[in-house]
Amino acid sequence: MNLGARQMSVTASEDQGFEALFTAEYARVVGIANRVLADPHEAEDVAQEVFIDYHRLHSARAEYGPAWLHRAAAHASLNRLRGARRRQKREFAQALEEGERAMDPQKQAELNEDRRRLREALARMAPKPAAVLVLRASGLSYAEVAQALGVGIGQIGTLLRRAEATLRKEVTHGTSN
Amino acid sequence: MAHLTDGTLRRMVDDPDAKAGADAAHLAGCAECQARFQGISDDAHSIATLLSVPEAKVDVARAFDRVAHAPRSLPAFGLRLPLLRPAARPLTLAFVAAVAAAALVVVAFAANGFFFQPSTVRAVPITLSDVQALAQLSQYGTLKWTKEPQLQVTPTAGEAATVSGMQPPTVAKLPAGVSTTVTYGAMPQAVATFTFSADKAAAAAAAQGKTLPKMPAGMDGATLTVTIGPAVGEVYGDLNRPQPSPDVTQMNLPRLIVARSVSPTVTSTQVSAADLESYILAQPGISAELKKTIQAIGDPSTTLFIPVPVEYGTSKAVTVQGVDGVALGDNTGVGSAVVWVKGGHVWVVAGSIKQTEAIDIANNLK
Repeated sequence: MNLGARQMSVTASEDQGFEALFTAEYARVVGIANRVLADPHEAEDVAQEVFIDYHRLHSARAEYGPAWLHRAAAHASLNRLRGARRRQKREFAQALEEGERAMDPQKQAELNEDRRRLREALARMAPKPAAVLVLRASGLSYAEVAQALGVGIGQIGTLLRRAEATLRKEVTHGTSN
Repeated sequence: MAHLTDGTLRRMVDDPDAKAGADAAHLAGCAECQARFQGISDDAHSIATLLSVPEAKVDVARAFDRVAHAPRSLPAFGLRLPLLRPAARPLTLAFVAAVAAAALVVVAFAANGFFFQPSTVRAVPITLSDVQALAQLSQYGTLKWTKEPQLQVTPTAGEAATVSGMQPPTVAKLPAGVSTTVTYGAMPQAVATFTFSADKAAAAAAAQGKTLPKMPAGMDGATLTVTIGPAVGEVYGDLNRPQPSPDVTQMNLPRLIVARSVSPTVTSTQVSAADLESYILAQPGISAELKKTIQAIGDPSTTLFIPVPVEYGTSKAVTVQGVDGVALGDNTGVGSAVVWVKGGHVWVVAGSIKQTEAIDIANNLK
């Protein structure tokens, strides 16, 4: 095999690996970004940028692939949340969850206000606790969160608690269960 | 036994199995910890409710198609570094980041007719669609390296200076947390020519199902000569850690990269400035925002464009060493960079540091 052919075959195998990684992780990466942005379209934009970045710089077969993607999704979406344009956007349109539609309008308004304030507070928070909270809320296990952020699994509880305590102070009503 | 920590109690909220052993026994008999557990549990549930969102429905196949057609590397006009091959990491990757930032990212479409040599920098907003449209331009002709970029990693500043003909920049004071382990890199000058072809452009556009604006008279067969480097720089951080590592902090980009490059130049004897700029901006997929920004800049032939993804990164104009510069990123420490042009060189300071730290390093760079 000459050098050119070998290069092509490496590229082909790399592309297949990337497609497998994409198929396995895309929904979860979108889920993480959507958790932060509460906007499925913007979340897909973020997810696609994250995959493009990954593909540009890393091997699709690297063991750290999923962990890298999870972390990048959290950081990229939190960055968007911090972006100037985003802050100017006054309204926070979120579709209501099942079960919330029956709430009285006053309660719904309070819940939406709290969701908006929570995301503002999330944008101000230090990157690490914010990312821990987002990844955990997106359904990652403690072990997966630890791997994504490169912290010890023993720290996850502490970081989660810190993030939740900070956020809890920022929202005043509508959160009692 | 001491009271349970907040972290332990928080974990018990999520994991019923954690409520076993000595910790569980303590909790069962300690009213104070029970009260704290209740508070922590309430907070966790409140925040979970506020963070809940309707699930995003995704079409994975369609999304993959979109991503698969995105360009793999940014520089347009085919200036894709041979160094970016998958085999070339991780050491080279860091230098690609450093030297590419200083020498390469920039050149592409700012080529303004007869002679382009930047003496200042400007951030321009760029969308994914812009990147795709610009990358498409690389198929409108033939790229030839007359002098290929040859990046070299050297253990000492002296060798890097020999390769590039310039001294690597010296950082006056490293921010706390940045490793003092330093690796040098250098690249001699590289030269490429790009020859436009109306036939290739039409074929490339047809393959994408797009209609092109008409190529201006004289552009078919016209050649741009692009010169980049020489460049020299250094990376702070231990680059030799084993990869892949389960601990992903170790595959972070290095903490700090500092590099300088002789300003890139683009020359052409056949294409006029105005023609090239309007042809590029007329490409399908170029956003209105990018068009407006470029057109608003009076003389693009002396401006280095730093593409900043819209809503993804933030950028602002700063003064560095008495000249205009662009600062990217923010103050969270996730990442920031400063780029400026002075004395015929493009300078870059970048890393996982705060923006204020990056600006401080830039101002004290020698």
